[in-house]
Amino acid sequence: MSPLFKKILVANRSEIAVRVIRACRSLGIPTVAVYSEADAHSKHRLIADQSALIGPPSPRESYLNIDRIIAAAKETGCDALHPGYGFLAENPLLPKRCAEEGIVFIGPGTEAMRLLGNKVESRVKMADAGVPLIPGMKGSSADVTQFEKAAAIAGYPVIIKAAAGGGGKGMRIVHEKSQLADALGAAQREALNAFGDDTVYLEKYLSDPRHIEFQVLADHHGHCVHLFERECSIQRRHQKIIEETPSTALTEELRARMGNDAVKVAQAAGYTNAGTVEFLLDKTGKYFFLEMNTRIQVEHPITEMVVGVDLVVEQIKVAAGLPLGDHLKNLSQRGHAIECRIYAEDGENNFMPSIGTIVHYSEPEGPGIRVDSGIMSGMEIGIHYDPIMAKLIVHAPDRNTAIAKMTDALEQFKILGVKTSRRFMIEALNHPEFIAGRTYTSFIGDHMSARATGSDDYHALAAAVASAVAGSSTRTAGGSDKRLTVATPWDTVGAWQIGDAIGE
Amino acid sequence: MNKYQFSCDGAKLETSVERVGQGWHVSVGEAVYEVDALPHGLFAVTNGQCRHMAAAVKHKGIIYVDLGRVQLELTESSDAVSGGEAGELHREKDKVFAPMPGRIVKLMVSVGDQVTEKQQLVIVEAMKMENPVCALAAGKVKAIHFAQGDQVDTESPIVELEIGL
Repeated sequence: MSPLFKKILVANRSEIAVRVIRACRSLGIPTVAVYSEADAHSKHRLIADQSALIGPPSPRESYLNIDRIIAAAKETGCDALHPGYGFLAENPLLPKRCAEEGIVFIGPGTEAMRLLGNKVESRVKMADAGVPLIPGMKGSSADVTQFEKAAAIAGYPVIIKAAAGGGGKGMRIVHEKSQLADALGAAQREALNAFGDDTVYLEKYLSDPRHIEFQVLADHHGHCVHLFERECSIQRRHQKIIEETPSTALTEELRARMGNDAVKVAQAAGYTNAGTVEFLLDKTGKYFFLEMNTRIQVEHPITEMVVGVDLVVEQIKVAAGLPLGDHLKNLSQRGHAIECRIYAEDGENNFMPSIGTIVHYSEPEGPGIRVDSGIMSGMEIGIHYDPIMAKLIVHAPDRNTAIAKMTDALEQFKILGVKTSRRFMIEALNHPEFIAGRTYTSFIGDHMSARATGSDDYHALAAAVASAVAGSSTRTAGGSDKRLTVATPWDTVGAWQIGDAIGE
Repeated sequence: MNKYQFSCDGAKLETSVERVGQGWHVSVGEAVYEVDALPHGLFAVTNGQCRHMAAAVKHKGIIYVDLGRVQLELTESSDAVSGGEAGELHREKDKVFAPMPGRIVKLMVSVGDQVTEKQQLVIVEAMKMENPVCALAAGKVKAIHFAQGDQVDTESPIVELEIGL
């Protein structure tokens, strides 16, 4: 069988670009990575078959620049493009441009993406389709008084969201009128930076709901299936940090109803390819449609683990025009999977982003442990991009075993040079309320804010190890301060060619 | 027997180290740890019944140690004295710095304002996040060296305070 595409351009960076390149490789399709000047030594560039420079570090001049990405695709002879998540993944101008240029966009069509990307229009559409909705603003506005009016009707607390949004960027909860103007400005700035569009809107903020989302897959032949739920209630600053499947909150009956509604959402939007329908589930078992994400999600691997389907491969097949395969009929959930996101951030100091050189990197191993990583030893973590470095995923027969396995894997995962929040995640996973399955979106604020962050207990242990390091460097270098150098794969890569640079 | 002095999160730690076979016996206060070096920068540390796997690397004068749950950065005190790159930055509370290079998206105070400890003064955007920068002590704003939209590094103070007014 000839490959589905001649060559695929991966219009993203870091772990998701690596993930997509691996899926392409499993289908025998060559890949082109794009990279900014800041990413010349990045992993996604290293593992792709070819690479193309698309501009300076600033996302607006590189990973958000449609012209340069399309130029790279044409110059390298790509007939398809995968957008990953973030950056341009949910910008309908990209699939539109791809269609004009004769490049297959691996994702939904322009119109479905535009509709679902417009949270205001999609709310109207889904209400007509009979899907339950959260009360909120009918239209978006840049006028603070419009927000004040809508907030007064919905009742505080309210939440401001980017109309083009996702991933918690450009999102603010507002508890009283006096905070509204500031929150609006901050949300607009973040939205502009993250999505290139500062439109925001307002909804009633539900307290203590669970975040439950359903993975769907739809082909170009009228078939649409769901691949069950992911629970992503463990969030910090509206950013998911721990995700799991199955959810402890769903009965078979509720799962079937939500799954049917997820399929209904996708069909009402005329959706094709992989997408995620997000719901909020309240304590009484009532659920509300939140939005549909028109991309592959960060947390897609947990679905892959329990359902046994490679979602990125399915995306590519659907984009190539194949109908959904028989293996997608009669799906079942096998075991339990958890994902922890490994961000470059200081878990012991208010989660400040952490920058620096990765001076040591070793991944955990063992049955049922998967690491989707965008980093390597020697790499710089800079200030230009999202701080996600890697995702750690475990799969086990049941939830308690998955928690134990994740705890062990987090302890095994060694990353030095930048801070991470592995300790925070270990403590969250092993919190009695998490173990009991009582998870909801303010779990971290309610249960984790009083945790002790000191490292005193570890000082002696660290000093013992540091003594051995100091002792061994003194010994090998005859007393001089021998600095360990960190080898990057770029030092040892040998005979290997990079495609012609494009653009600047 | 070698003796070392480290600083870590402001704490001083003294160790004495004895080479035993391929490994070390390290005394820290009352406790004795057996440390074995494994390949690839990994170390096994045993304290009585308790065994930990650690990763550790010395890079630009800082010893980075990963103990599974926590990661710590230690500097040898002799290094710090000799003014190596690892020398702890001594900063007064009257100068407010960005925690990382970034762009100022919001200045929340003006010269002459009274501020309280932990009050947000500036918001610096880096890595697509808005990071608040707060006063380390109460005082009055004496000078502001940057404007909204400016790029800042971690070496130049953004705001100067007159402490305790």
